[in-house]
Amino acid sequence: MRKLFTVLGIVSSIIAVVLALLPISNLAFIPAIIAFVFGVLAFLQIKKENGSKHVVQLTFLLTIIALSLATYKSIYNKTELGNTEQLEKLEKESEEKAIEELEDIEISD
Amino acid sequence: MRSISFLLLLLISFTLNAQNNAIQAGERLNYNISYNMSGIMNTIARVTMETSEVKTKKSTLLRLKCTAASFSKWDSYFKIRDLYESYVNPNTLTPYLYKREINEGGHYKFVKYNYDYKTKTVKSLIRKKSKNFESGFWDQNNTVNFSSGTRDIVATLYKLRTLDIHKATVGASDSFNVLFDNENLKLTFKLLGKETISTAIGKKECYKLAIGVSEAILKGENTNIIWLTADENKIPVYARFKVAVGSGELKIQSASGLKN
Repeated sequence: MRKLFTVLGIVSSIIAVVLALLPISNLAFIPAIIAFVFGVLAFLQIKKENGSKHVVQLTFLLTIIALSLATYKSIYNKTELGNTEQLEKLEKESEEKAIEELEDIEISD
Repeated sequence: MRSISFLLLLLISFTLNAQNNAIQAGERLNYNISYNMSGIMNTIARVTMETSEVKTKKSTLLRLKCTAASFSKWDSYFKIRDLYESYVNPNTLTPYLYKREINEGGHYKFVKYNYDYKTKTVKSLIRKKSKNFESGFWDQNNTVNFSSGTRDIVATLYKLRTLDIHKATVGASDSFNVLFDNENLKLTFKLLGKETISTAIGKKECYKLAIGVSEAILKGENTNIIWLTADENKIPVYARFKVAVGSGELKIQSASGLKN
């Protein structure tokens, strides 16, 4: 049981860190919470059995990194538009071409 | 009998209003598109719907332009730069030229329709990237027949706003012939009721409409829903949609240059 909790904890915390680094950092909260829960469970088992705490400590460290990064990104990262210069240029060119094509069109109501 | 005639009259009035009292040149609507990933909404792109006047030698047309651009944080993963345009009659929103140029995560496609109302045909050009051609593009030219009232997707979205929805009863529906990727589709809009929702431009009383291909709407599958303000402008303020992989929503951020 201790091994299972430890493995699930460390895997979830790695997933949380990876997600926190991607643009979908909001999703990192879910594995981070899971990692924290398994970390606590593993820690309690280890305490009972007097085992090594290194992996659990790493789980907590990674979870804290993931949570901090995801929180920072959700507060400070503004949703800014990418470079739309090309699109704006395309819009203008497209309108000019359209006017040429529609030159002889007579509209009827 | 009288009640049936009344219902028919209501349905007809929902359908036949041809004049445009909702849209004018200079209107600009901004939206954010969010995509649902494991229950968490992620804002991925900005959609802008803009109208402007276009003058040619013989006439004045209304240009309906929709652009979509992904936010910078997504650009390195899935860059979106889409342009949809329809050049229409300002009064009836009858289209004369439609263009669609999409750039989505490396996928490029250009579609152009030139409407000919004398022969009731559309000259269609579909351009895709291809290494088999020297120019790097593969052009497909086709002529497609269309029935009266057929519009492209952009003109249909704007046409919806010119309908007398206030005269329609809950459950009333209307169908539009839409030309998309050279296929004649029948899109149905069904009025689900009125709802007041909070938006970035304030609390708005809205018409809630279900959109879909006719068969799906008749079956009661309301997976795509749009909220239009229950005023003369009938601007779309919120939409929920389902795509092949997941679902998303469109939320208004700002509106300017409204007619009423």
